[in-house]
Amino acid sequence: MSTEVRPAAVDTNELRAQISEKYTEVALTPEKGFHFHTGRPLARMHEYDDAVVDALPLGVVESFAGTGNPFSLGDLKPGETVLDIGCGAGFDTLIAAQQVGPGGRVVAVDMTPEMLEKAERGAREMGLTNVECRKGYAEELPAEDETVDVVISNGVINLCPDKIAVMAEVHRVLKPGARFQIADIIVHKEVPQGAKDDIDLWSG
Amino acid sequence: MLKNTGFTNVRWGEQVDVFSGSKHESAAAEFDTRGVTFSAVKV
Repeated sequence: MSTEVRPAAVDTNELRAQISEKYTEVALTPEKGFHFHTGRPLARMHEYDDAVVDALPLGVVESFAGTGNPFSLGDLKPGETVLDIGCGAGFDTLIAAQQVGPGGRVVAVDMTPEMLEKAERGAREMGLTNVECRKGYAEELPAEDETVDVVISNGVINLCPDKIAVMAEVHRVLKPGARFQIADIIVHKEVPQGAKDDIDLWSG
Repeated sequence: MLKNTGFTNVRWGEQVDVFSGSKHESAAAEFDTRGVTFSAVKV
């Protein structure tokens, strides 16, 4: 699976603002209905274990908007340091925090304050003290070089116009020999460059 | 892209029609859009 990847010619700041506005709605009014699936039905589609989802706070589950299940590629190990890019309301963050246990930690990064607040509240409700939420962007991760054992992400990189910059950041923060486990979307038919460059098509 | 950015052992999981039944279904189908999982290891 190889193809040329070029950054889309969109205003990154404007795109971030539009996407953040959309995901603020997902955080504050998850029942509203969006152009993508959300919540528990989506978690079932991605075959998250019901017992795992049941353990999460309702506010976290209802704002879940991922495109897959990063843990389907393997569970995390106790003691690992994890970075969750675009953590949203913390659905995967809180699952990861339980898997790595008190000897590990999860750095949860998102650009939307309302999502970060939900993730922080969810961690508090679950009594998880190994979660740290940081505001930031996928192309400029707020983490030191080579400090992370596993990067996870779910449905976020497709919203970033410069995917090469994102993967370069993932590479920078990972320790040598460390891994990422990512869920996202791909297209099997070429999207015209004009559509890629149309900012209104990015966030629906 | 992944190999060029310094990753190896790339693994791909199953693909899922994540927009099926959603408001975005027809637009997603136009480009045969799928949800996918993948992993790789930093060299």
